[in-house]
Amino acid sequence: MDTKKLVADMKARFEYNSAKHYLKEKYSSKLFVAEQGGYWKADLNTISFLNATTSKTIVLLDLYDIPVNVNVKKLREKLVTVYDTVMTEWHEEYKELESKR
Amino acid sequence: MSKGAIVFAFNSPKVDYYSMAEYTAKRINHFLKLPVTIVTDEKSIPKNSSYKFDNVVISKPDTDNYFRGDVWINKGRFQAFQYSPYDETLLLDVDYMVNSDRLLKVFDLLQDYVCHENIAQLMIPKGEQEKLSANSFPALWATVLGFRKTEKSEQLFGCMKMIQKNYAHYANLYNFSPDIYRNDFALTIAHRLVNGHYYDNTNILPWNLMHVWLKTNLFVERKSKFNTKYTVIYDNHKNNKVRKEYITIKDMDFHVINKDVFLGLM
Repeated sequence: MDTKKLVADMKARFEYNSAKHYLKEKYSSKLFVAEQGGYWKADLNTISFLNATTSKTIVLLDLYDIPVNVNVKKLREKLVTVYDTVMTEWHEEYKELESKR
Repeated sequence: MSKGAIVFAFNSPKVDYYSMAEYTAKRINHFLKLPVTIVTDEKSIPKNSSYKFDNVVISKPDTDNYFRGDVWINKGRFQAFQYSPYDETLLLDVDYMVNSDRLLKVFDLLQDYVCHENIAQLMIPKGEQEKLSANSFPALWATVLGFRKTEKSEQLFGCMKMIQKNYAHYANLYNFSPDIYRNDFALTIAHRLVNGHYYDNTNILPWNLMHVWLKTNLFVERKSKFNTKYTVIYDNHKNNKVRKEYITIKDMDFHVINKDVFLGLM
């Protein structure tokens, strides 16, 4: 069914906040990563910490509060890659939705 | 290690759950590349079905559950542990719309079992989380339940069986209505029991289960076999007026509460 015709027939209004909420739910769930025996979220806090530390290995608590000894470089690379991919997709779809306002 | 999905589908007088299961199974095959086992009864299986499930388990439906005057055959879900032929299994409700490979991440998390605790609702950004009762703890959702065949998982399903059998007792204990049996509530209590009444997030999926709630309708953008784009229309009731609001979504899994809406998408 053609979206434009459907919303015109129903006189529906585009709901920006719901669209933002949908995008957040969709893309934040893609930020979770299983790596080196732990489960992580590719978020700014974790990536910043991994950037700041000078150690080669470090023990981090994963999402389930399990301490995991990780290779800092490998984990950082993985999380940055996931973050970059997901946020780029998020941004692309946000631009699409914003054009409908 | 074998992986697969299992669904339960017993037709009621009003809803063709078997067709829904077939539709969902095709999407599981397509997006997750997993085989699907169905638990059903002979009466529900159509004679002219062309789709072949990986396994068909014939079981006797328990018709002793009513929702708004109609029979709701949702009991017996605890048998998933016994009936699943896989080492690692995704137990899915047939009204769960698979639109991506997201659920494969469940297998990364599997120690014993995992399920959703937190939900989100399309078009209702500030929707509330469900609780067992007003002053009780949050309910888990049996819509997506991943499990391995371990001792702890066996205990979980054993507890679900016990809770189903003694549902009125547990309803009294946790102060919810015993009138309608809900797998979500049985799972919530079973999870507490097997963890010694200690709250442990180890078995909880870290992302939210997306619901398409009541008053929300979905339209497929293009009728195709594996469409993943939808227009969502929501009736926002405010000040005695109904305002129709919409968004478009794509490539996102969701659970459809209203069976008629799900059937409309097939």
